[in-house]
Amino acid sequence: MIQLLHLTKQYPSPAGPVAALSDVTLTIPDGAIFGVIGLSGAGKSTLVRCINLLEKPTSGQVLIDGEDLMKVKKRRLLEVRRSIGMIFQNFNLLEQRTVEDNVRFPLEIARFDKEKRGERVRELLRLVGLSEKAKAYPSQLSGGQKQRVAIARALATDPKYLLCDEATSALDPNTTASILALLKEINASLGVTIVVITHEMRVVESICTDVAVIGDSRIAETGKVTEVFSDPKSEIARELIIPELIRSVKSGGGNKLRLIFDGTVSDMPIISALAMDVGAAVNILYADTKNIDGMPFGHMVITLPAEEEKAAAVKRYLSEKHVQYKEEI
Amino acid sequence: MSRLFQQLGVQGFMLGVWETVYLTFLSTFVAYLIGLPLGILLCVTDKGGIRPVVWLNKLVGFVVNILRSIPFIILMVALIPVSRAIVGTSIGNAAMIFMLIVAAAPYIARMVESSVKEVDSGVIEAARSMGAGTFEIVWKVLLPEAKPSLIVGAVISTVTVLGYSAMAGTIAAGGLGSIAVTQARPSNAQDVIWLCVALMVVIVQIVQEAGMVLAKKTDKRIRSEKSKNKKIKSKGDIS
Repeated sequence: MIQLLHLTKQYPSPAGPVAALSDVTLTIPDGAIFGVIGLSGAGKSTLVRCINLLEKPTSGQVLIDGEDLMKVKKRRLLEVRRSIGMIFQNFNLLEQRTVEDNVRFPLEIARFDKEKRGERVRELLRLVGLSEKAKAYPSQLSGGQKQRVAIARALATDPKYLLCDEATSALDPNTTASILALLKEINASLGVTIVVITHEMRVVESICTDVAVIGDSRIAETGKVTEVFSDPKSEIARELIIPELIRSVKSGGGNKLRLIFDGTVSDMPIISALAMDVGAAVNILYADTKNIDGMPFGHMVITLPAEEEKAAAVKRYLSEKHVQYKEEI
Repeated sequence: MSRLFQQLGVQGFMLGVWETVYLTFLSTFVAYLIGLPLGILLCVTDKGGIRPVVWLNKLVGFVVNILRSIPFIILMVALIPVSRAIVGTSIGNAAMIFMLIVAAAPYIARMVESSVKEVDSGVIEAARSMGAGTFEIVWKVLLPEAKPSLIVGAVISTVTVLGYSAMAGTIAAGGLGSIAVTQARPSNAQDVIWLCVALMVVIVQIVQEAGMVLAKKTDKRIRSEKSKNKKIKSKGDIS
């Protein structure tokens, strides 16, 4: 388990220290695919680099399986880093080494049994589907292939954790999807806990189990993806997850209801049902459903009828049909 | 044909070529033994390097700068007593090699430093994330990744040292420069001077071409035919 306790990271600047992280506390449960989402400059990259201490936090604790990395000796830190794989936006492959030698690199660093290195490299390239590119150089590969090599390399020493720093941000949508599928497969088959840093909603939607929303160097909100995405509470999370909804709520007048679809009622034609059963004609200001983890989730913003009675009837009807709703002002 | 030209004959010129090549390559080689580690040290200990040691970086940088700011001909004069103390003589090829090393090592250190600094910081970060220590990063990342650039740097350094070696005549060391300046110039043997120049040009061309071919061959970054041609062109421009 990865635990970050009261992490603070400040960078010196001519105008005094600038905070990249302020009192960040986060628990990343084993087996999770944990997304950290935020706008650029929010502190995401600093946060992920604090996990393996590529960046040393100014204060706080970094607990990896209970061991505080802030207190361990340099030699031990290097050992722990071998149990935490990492991949990057720009892949960061060794340009002068072949694909197989790139994957071999962490094995050399970890003094992995020389005899077994070749076997291990072949196994990893098979896992990421690049066996036939073993002798190629990175410059001969596409972006998606480079990231696959980077994944194979990060997994070489059989790490318990895999950190992904904007790993799909440089890739096109199709390639992104295939890389995400690979990460999901790795999580499922190898049980590797994955931390995904991203500014892309669709990345979190498609693979993450848990999510932390980071804004302005602080954790704004954290929880299961299904919970946070169906009902984001913090301002920054709402802006990230349902930006159009926020705009639509702010624009229209009158009383509004936000209907929350949690995967059970999404297919029901609720608006026409309202019109027929309650006799209330409601106006739809916004509607969007997303597929998260194979279940439909979504929001819809409607204006309530002006008459108190009708409005109450609408709410009653929604409750009966188990549709969650919130009043929006 | 001048009398000196006849006196020297094929053998005399061959000896000149040999002495130039030997002075240049031996001193460049030894200078690399000093300059390469110094260059790595300058890069690694720099602020923002993989192991910052600011005072050491400043100190080495200062010494390198001082040595580099002295024109070679003056450095030679200044080094006469030092050479006598260390090499045992202040004239001849041995003394010349010593002086060339002193002049070339700091130059090479800067060349190496700039080559190694070109290595993508992301790749270094990736190596750190895998638990690589400072030595492993230098040995397995910085040097191999900078290799093509280091080879180009070595070519430039060698040609520079070749230029310095022409001043060998001033302390009675040998080579083409010595023939041209101390023998041909006083007797105004123009044909000897021009042949020395031509031979120097040939040596430089060979070093340059061989070095570039080697650098291109070791570089695995660009492989496709189209970009390959582009690469040769741009490299030719730089040097």
